[in-house]
Amino acid sequence: MRFSFMGKHGGSHPEENKSRTSKLPIVDASVPKIMVYPVSMHIGAPAKPVVEIGETVKVGQLIAEEGGFVSANVYSSVSGEVIAIEKRGKIGGGEVDSIIVKNDYEYTKADPIVEPGRSQDMSKDEIIQTVRKAGIVGMGGATFPTAVKLSPPPGMTIDTLIINGAECEPYSTSDHRVMVEHADEIIHGINLSRALFPQLRRIYIGVEDNKPDAIKALEEASAEYDDIFVRPLKTMYPQGSEKNLIKSMTGREVSPGGLPAEVRCVVANTSTIRSCYRACEFGEPLIERIVSVSGTPIREPKNLRVKIGTPMDSLIEDCGGFADVPGKVLGGGPMMGKTVSDLGVPIIKGTTAITVLTPEEAEQGDSHDCIMCSECLNVCPVSLQPILISEAFERGNIDKAQELGAMDCIECGNCSFICPSKIPLLENIRSAKAAIKAKEEK
Amino acid sequence: MAQAIDVKGKLQVGPSPHVRSKRTAAWVMDQVLIALIPPTLAATFFFGWWVLGMVAIGIGTAVASEFIYQKLTYKPIKIQDHSAAVTGMLVALSLPVTAPIWMIMFGSIFAIVIVKQLNGGIGRNYFNPAVAARVVIKALFTPWLANWVLPGGLLGSGFRGVDAIGSATPLEFIGNGAQVVPEQVPGLFDLFMGFNLGGNVGETSKFAILIGMLYLIFRRVINPKVPILYILTTFVVMGLWSSFDWNFQMTHILTGTLFFGATYMATDYSSGSLTPEGKTVFAIGCGVLTAVFRITLDHPGGVGYSILIMNALAPFIDSKLMPRIYGHKTRPQTKFDRQSTN
Repeated sequence: MRFSFMGKHGGSHPEENKSRTSKLPIVDASVPKIMVYPVSMHIGAPAKPVVEIGETVKVGQLIAEEGGFVSANVYSSVSGEVIAIEKRGKIGGGEVDSIIVKNDYEYTKADPIVEPGRSQDMSKDEIIQTVRKAGIVGMGGATFPTAVKLSPPPGMTIDTLIINGAECEPYSTSDHRVMVEHADEIIHGINLSRALFPQLRRIYIGVEDNKPDAIKALEEASAEYDDIFVRPLKTMYPQGSEKNLIKSMTGREVSPGGLPAEVRCVVANTSTIRSCYRACEFGEPLIERIVSVSGTPIREPKNLRVKIGTPMDSLIEDCGGFADVPGKVLGGGPMMGKTVSDLGVPIIKGTTAITVLTPEEAEQGDSHDCIMCSECLNVCPVSLQPILISEAFERGNIDKAQELGAMDCIECGNCSFICPSKIPLLENIRSAKAAIKAKEEK
Repeated sequence: MAQAIDVKGKLQVGPSPHVRSKRTAAWVMDQVLIALIPPTLAATFFFGWWVLGMVAIGIGTAVASEFIYQKLTYKPIKIQDHSAAVTGMLVALSLPVTAPIWMIMFGSIFAIVIVKQLNGGIGRNYFNPAVAARVVIKALFTPWLANWVLPGGLLGSGFRGVDAIGSATPLEFIGNGAQVVPEQVPGLFDLFMGFNLGGNVGETSKFAILIGMLYLIFRRVINPKVPILYILTTFVVMGLWSSFDWNFQMTHILTGTLFFGATYMATDYSSGSLTPEGKTVFAIGCGVLTAVFRITLDHPGGVGYSILIMNALAPFIDSKLMPRIYGHKTRPQTKFDRQSTN
């Protein structure tokens, strides 16, 4: 494990642990009998079910339609019968209304959402409508509806498109494999954006330099375009944070609470831009994604092509199950992923990875007094002073926590990770943020 | 097979991040103890076996007084963070080989109880305990310290510098208004290696301290800019004072406590600056003050005073140099109160 006490650098170096899956080609996951589709796989209003119990559905059939402007359609990824609409557990805990479909293994296909083969002729509105219709959301984990992101507020021009291929989370290799195996589709997706943003001047693809094969594949696929720049990024967590990516690619900083569009940027994840292309070109709604399954207890880690709605236990079985007792099972990576208490929860649109940690790896350690080593300041990607915010919160001084910038925290987890005294800094900062919000709502 | 492991109800849940770095506070303190081994060995070579006894007394007293203080005040026992051991070792190495046992014990108790624990314990003390102890010892017990001892040497004198000779410190020749190096002062190589030098045992060999400093930088325990800027600043100010007399400047940075203080004391976490820019100002401030004290005072001790003064200023410096948050135009605007800056 590398550390730096050399002063401020805005990142940390958790063990990467990507080598078990980074070279493995994507393979199809098996599809279980029972599929679970939460109506809320995105940020924004939940989708509204449009099917009834007992109804037969096809692959790619709309089963829940968007519940507002910031929302997303949900499609069935198998054909079969809707057997229930009920609350089911989700990644991160809690329950959410879910449509349960019993797979008939016929894979009867619904009609494509748009006429295939004419993505290159689509107008701006057509592309945005198609992306919206396909239910595409940020697939890097943020799950913000992509159609909204691609429609900047009036008066804002976009001159830079940034494709996020950093994949800075340890263990995760799903974007890595998408870049290696589907670089051409990413570039096609980028080309679609030219119709969206007429003032577009530069396209950057940011990839951490621990993925030389991905950088090479993208460079080859984009060779004929002189406005597409594949930019290797120093391997450092969290290079893939949207704000930091904008800063490292363009030198611009998004104002507090502001949108990337205000600095003329749009940022999209590699898998997201690929899905946009597939929706426009093949009329495919978002019903599949790539998920890497890894971690010490996993017997045979894999990169899987997964039908959205597949419960986690089916994927873990695909990977040979547990060779060792798992301590934590995460949707996502170890820095920002969310825990699950039950392996029956489904993969959703934003699930990049399943990471399984042993109890020892997940050990948080007992919290001790702060020794003022200042490492949390050094690793904070937005230059906060995490220990001071945490202490202000512990003293009940919410105003101070706010003045120190608690609301600017992007919750990357670097401060808690690096702390030698194992102080739950991010937990305290999250609590401070909640207290500030509660205070402001009063 | 796969199903053999039943996870139902056994999975841990909780907020991210789910992994923690392996570094602990005790590990950090252990690195400082390791980095103090080269100066300790050099001191043993120059002053005799008793140096090891001094170190043992310093560490033992510091750890014991922290333990007793925490027992008496019904606080959790925290000697296992090893920070008291660091303080005790620094106190012992900050004294001459002739220092009586009670003085080492007094220094350790004063550092731990008065300076560290009564100011809130680890991470909360505004002043570096070992520096405060050595300054107080100097102020109270000068008669017992007056003889600046030349070493008898491990081979020559055996156990405890028995042929220790009192002499004047080189600082008395080059400080207090001097602008050139008189002949009595040892050459630069002797100053660097610590040959034929008296003084506080730990700070004699700059060579040994440099090894310790590089170790701490390599282990990423200290921020290299603090010792480097500190020493460099003193070098530059002494250059301005002496019209850039190389020999004068080098003699100054190789004399006295400068190397030892810049490496092991100005880099202390709790009493130093927290913010990245604060650390720069802190180190430069120490360097300027050290040079000024050496030029103006007629007695040694400039490094100790400088670090203590900058310790006192550190929370204020930090409050003025809080990092600008991403996307903001200005630094965070918040009322200065010591509690929230240290």
